[in-house]
Amino acid sequence: MPAAAPHATTADRVRFTSFQARLLTWFLGLFVVVQAAGLYLVGAAQERNALNQIGAALEVGAGVFHRLIDARAERLVEAARLQSADFAFKQACAIGDRATILSVLQNQQSRIGADLMLLADLDYTVVADTLDSLAPGSPLPFSAAIEDALERGEEWTTTIVFLAGRPYQIVVVPLLAPLPTAWIAVGFRLGDPLAAEIRRLTLTHVSLLRRGDAGAWEPFATTLPAVRRAALAPALAGAAWAPDRSVTLPLAGEGFVTLVTSLETGAIPVVAVLQRSLPEALAPYRRLRAVLLGLFAGGVVLSAIAGHRIARLVTRPVLQIAARARRVEAGEYGEPLQIRQQDELGRLATSFNRMVQGLAERDKVRGLLGKVVSPAIAHELLTGEIALGGEEREVTVLFADIRDFTTLSERRSPQEILVLLNSYLTCVTAVVETNGGVVDKYIGDGMMALFGAPLSHPDDASRAVRTAVQMIAAVRAWNRERDPLHPEAIRIGIGIHTGRAVAGNMGSATRLNYTVIGDAVNLASRLEGLSKTYGAAIVVSMATRERAPEFGYREIDRVRVRGREAEVTIFEVLGEPGPASPAE
Amino acid sequence: MRCLSGWGIALLLASLTRVAAGELVVQVRDARGRPLANAVVTATGSASVAEGERPAATIDQIDQEFVPQVSVVRVGTAVRFPNQDNIRHHVYSFSPAKQFELPLYKGTPAAPVLFDRPGLVVLGCNIHDWMLGYLYVVQTPWFARTDAEGRALLTGLPDAPLEIAALHPRAKFPEAPPRTRWSPGDATTLTLEVPVRAEVQRPRAGRSAARDYR
Repeated sequence: MPAAAPHATTADRVRFTSFQARLLTWFLGLFVVVQAAGLYLVGAAQERNALNQIGAALEVGAGVFHRLIDARAERLVEAARLQSADFAFKQACAIGDRATILSVLQNQQSRIGADLMLLADLDYTVVADTLDSLAPGSPLPFSAAIEDALERGEEWTTTIVFLAGRPYQIVVVPLLAPLPTAWIAVGFRLGDPLAAEIRRLTLTHVSLLRRGDAGAWEPFATTLPAVRRAALAPALAGAAWAPDRSVTLPLAGEGFVTLVTSLETGAIPVVAVLQRSLPEALAPYRRLRAVLLGLFAGGVVLSAIAGHRIARLVTRPVLQIAARARRVEAGEYGEPLQIRQQDELGRLATSFNRMVQGLAERDKVRGLLGKVVSPAIAHELLTGEIALGGEEREVTVLFADIRDFTTLSERRSPQEILVLLNSYLTCVTAVVETNGGVVDKYIGDGMMALFGAPLSHPDDASRAVRTAVQMIAAVRAWNRERDPLHPEAIRIGIGIHTGRAVAGNMGSATRLNYTVIGDAVNLASRLEGLSKTYGAAIVVSMATRERAPEFGYREIDRVRVRGREAEVTIFEVLGEPGPASPAE
Repeated sequence: MRCLSGWGIALLLASLTRVAAGELVVQVRDARGRPLANAVVTATGSASVAEGERPAATIDQIDQEFVPQVSVVRVGTAVRFPNQDNIRHHVYSFSPAKQFELPLYKGTPAAPVLFDRPGLVVLGCNIHDWMLGYLYVVQTPWFARTDAEGRALLTGLPDAPLEIAALHPRAKFPEAPPRTRWSPGDATTLTLEVPVRAEVQRPRAGRSAARDYR
């Protein structure tokens, strides 16, 4: 597992000991980073988008609101005009009887369902007022609005006035009889019902506020619930807002996107505040974000699983290959790996299997080589340069042969002879190799062994003589073991000579034989032939005897062997020092 | 010879204008100097005037308009309001000088309406909002109305100093009409300037283009 945090700097290198861990870390890390960035950006964009949309909706709402107020005013004007054209009404106003005028106004008011109706002179003196909030003879509070309309050349005025502390939307039309002789004002109260109606149309919260005497905003109509209602005026006072631009205000802990728009009024400023709850508007975006988070979490889990699986697809074959490599190192080749993947790892496994097969074959070849030539020579061949030619050195050559082999083979089948021969050769070869010698070659039933090449020892001659003695004993034992009943024992003759010869690779470039060449070899072979002649099991030369003095010798003769000019003295080996072993 | 031709020219001019003694031409203009039609010019003397017969006056209703739109009568005149349209009209006035109504009628009402108080009587029709008529009821027997060129001719003037006043329905200051003093020996043409408001035409019903539902 990694030793440090996954996102490391170059100065803080992470060491992964597990490919799985590395893959998972990078895979998941990248996924998390990308997803988190995406989530953040999407979230930010959503919020911005939502705010823009709410702002646009509020602007539309403000437009609707103003149009609604205008439409109500137009309705009022039409009603007021119709009322003012009533002849009896004109008559009643002309008569000037205040009480009659008031009752007429009340009648008219109930006809159209208005909340107030009043009559004023052309000089803006109140004549009669159904609301009873203005004393007859007092000046009209909204005369300035009427004057402004006249200057603009308009036939009627609408404005919002506060009478008896309550807000009214009023229209003022002239009483034409037939020229204007008075002003008629008709009004509807503004309150929560109006706010509720606007809310139904615009789907925003609506509040109407007036600026009080102290300069603070006072709400007189609202659709906000009680908790937020109280927070509205302080929020407006505390925040910086501009008319007809949306801002976000906190009301009792919940953010509201707010648009403030002014109404046409007289002396007292009145504003309408349209609001939408930000959390409510963001709810669908929040749901989307929750879904995205869920997807993110699911993605993390799935990525982890996928990463784990993919990593295993890599690590398992790799570990299998590593395990087999260890086995191969230990020498057991076993069965080829079964890896079913078709990808690069599959190809790696296939190549590995073929490599192991090649190694196995080479191993076999080497083993075989060792069997064919002798492990020492095999090693010499494998490690040294294979070149024709050799080096001159002093070697002790031992020749061994089975006596009367031809007679033996007469009475046996070739198969029997082969089995016999192999058994014999195995027996005597072991002796040679035990004593540090090397079997050079087998010549039919004979054997040539080397002492002193490729590896030389100071007591090579002694080894050779010892080998010969042990060979005789071994064959005797072999005879007994092989056929205790049959008296026909196999007897061997051995010849040993020590001299200088050339040891090396003989042959052609493609087929060679490690052997020794020289006069010494010939002599050893001749000595072996003389063993039968003189009836001695082991015949050695003077040279050998001089180098292996610890054995018992009996001088046999002085001979001149075939192919050699000089005479040599030959000796029979009597055995090892100690109790003399009777020669057979 | 030259003296003679000068007198001759004066006589010629006098005969051309035909302003006899006791006559006065009043030229009424608005504040911009344009001639003002339908202005009422009165001449008031200090001496009381003998009562005389008040000839009956008429204000017609033709094609849903009062004709003439501006009239002047002496206090005590009975005015007839014949309806020459084939539809009925409901003539009324709530002016303090005379409040009356002639409920929907055709032809000529039986009795004329007596205007026995001075002042401006604004006439309207209850069922036709654009019908407007102005009837000036004045004390003095000497009055006239300006024509399209803003000229009015006062005749039968007494040989005494008079106050000449000009009234107009659209006068900006109706309670203070422009006045000037005039005596018989003064020039026979007089100019008075009356500041007036702009005229506002009331649209007649049934003649405007259809308005789509708004």
